[in-house]
Amino acid sequence: MKDEAKYLSALKEALLQMDYERMGKAAQEAMDAGVDPLRAVTEGMTPAMALIGEKFQSGEYFLPELIVAADVMKEGLKIINPHLKGKDSRPGKRVVIATVEGDNHDIGKDIVATLLSAQGFEVIDLGIDVSAKKIVEAVKEYQPEILGLSALLTLTMIKMGEVISALEKEGLRDRLKVIIGGTSVTPEFAKRIGADYSTTNAVEGVEKCIAWVPPRKGR
Amino acid sequence: MQTGWAERECRNRGMGMAWTRPSHVVRMNNVVVTEEKNASLGPGVVRITYSTPKGSVYMDEKREPGTGGWHANRSWKDVIPWARKRLIREPQDYEVVQYIVENTEYLPDYFPIEQAQEWLGSEGVVLATLPKTPMARLIIEWIGTEEGRCYIHLKKYRDRMEALYAAMSKNMERLYEVAAQSPADFIGGMENMEGLLISPPLYEKYFLPEYEKCAQIFHRHGKKWAMHMDGRLKVLKNLIAQSPIDIIEALHPPPMGDLSLDEALAAWKDKIIWIGYPGAIYELGPKAVKKYTLDLLRSAVPGDRLVIAMSTENLVSNENLLMVTSVLENADLPLTEEKIRQIERSIV
Repeated sequence: MKDEAKYLSALKEALLQMDYERMGKAAQEAMDAGVDPLRAVTEGMTPAMALIGEKFQSGEYFLPELIVAADVMKEGLKIINPHLKGKDSRPGKRVVIATVEGDNHDIGKDIVATLLSAQGFEVIDLGIDVSAKKIVEAVKEYQPEILGLSALLTLTMIKMGEVISALEKEGLRDRLKVIIGGTSVTPEFAKRIGADYSTTNAVEGVEKCIAWVPPRKGR
Repeated sequence: MQTGWAERECRNRGMGMAWTRPSHVVRMNNVVVTEEKNASLGPGVVRITYSTPKGSVYMDEKREPGTGGWHANRSWKDVIPWARKRLIREPQDYEVVQYIVENTEYLPDYFPIEQAQEWLGSEGVVLATLPKTPMARLIIEWIGTEEGRCYIHLKKYRDRMEALYAAMSKNMERLYEVAAQSPADFIGGMENMEGLLISPPLYEKYFLPEYEKCAQIFHRHGKKWAMHMDGRLKVLKNLIAQSPIDIIEALHPPPMGDLSLDEALAAWKDKIIWIGYPGAIYELGPKAVKKYTLDLLRSAVPGDRLVIAMSTENLVSNENLLMVTSVLENADLPLTEEKIRQIERSIV
């Protein structure tokens, strides 16, 4: 379509500037002009988010910038998503992520979720304090390629083992990779509970996910 | 940390104690505080409402059975409440909270400190605890980091947030004076500094000036100041070096933190490093604990700027407690490589 590049560029700029108002305006104008909503996301917003992700990884940006950028993108998606209904919106490989039962910390999980989304993964975030039962149900429903488990406390880390045992009991364990994260996790602990990988670094975790299952390009 | 036969043995072999006590009581004027429990809030959830002439705000916290119970007999998880809804969620909440802050007084109450010092004698030290500094309190407690709320607020409601920050900073000057004039051995700030949550630009703008103000007051009264910094600190290393904090308390070296002890000692040459022993090492058992503790000593030679705390929150198994003690009881200063080798050989 004519001038599509202009609308895509406006979306990209609004996100790079982390400007809520500008994003709302750019998203609405793009939809009003008939820009393909999938392209608005994959060629307008996702490249900007990927750039912001790179700046976070290089240490130029920090958590506050990443969080605000993800929130600005959500503003845009609120306007674009209704136009996506009926289209093939599955963006790529799927990751289910959760903070385990008894643990209310979500920052690490949120960073990983944001960076994975920026890389083209579809991320289903189950939230915090999620029971093993609920996680297994989500794995059955969404059939992800990867399951990410987060825990900040040494006291709640043990719940990760319970999740993996529950997956084994349901015959699901071999169908996906399990990555665990949090300041207290160690490779020894990961081995003990049967996880595939552990990390205390969000960026490293994302790189591992990409190495396991490269996300499909485009949406 | 737990009390019991192992703890007694360790103390007899030289382990000291550090107790924290408040130096003040808080009085809120024209603020009515109520607590409510009902089934609609969820199991174990209590709503605390603060009503003022400017309006009301509330926070919800989940209190597991045992909350408030003696820490020495329970896991940390059961002792303090978990926030379910933070105090500041909407832009209109700022005005109400600012009213509360501006009408809060801090009154000296040194009895807890004096009593603790009398009980401890020469067996330990007492720290006058302070709440978090204003921006730490906003980010970690009052607004929260869940779903990145505090950062989104800083973007969307910067004026309100900064007005509240300024009001809090002014209000706490009195509290700093109260603590500084107390008989406590040290001042203990409970910042929970974490370089992931507090980025360098935030630290520079909102934390460094506040620390400079605090330090002036504390040092004027001859008090050394310990700040609880138990998170990842590498990204803040240089800014912490600039901060007039005397003791970096609860530093967690890897595997839980990202700054090793020798990096910290090298970066912060004018500071004492008070280690929070990583719980992840305790999980691996006494053999790992022995190796880790000896490595800490090697990093700290000659050792005159090192304090090792058994734990900042976790219960420590007796065997781990005894192992750390076995290493440290012979760690006479100044430490040397040879002394450390002898300690290693002496422990079977």
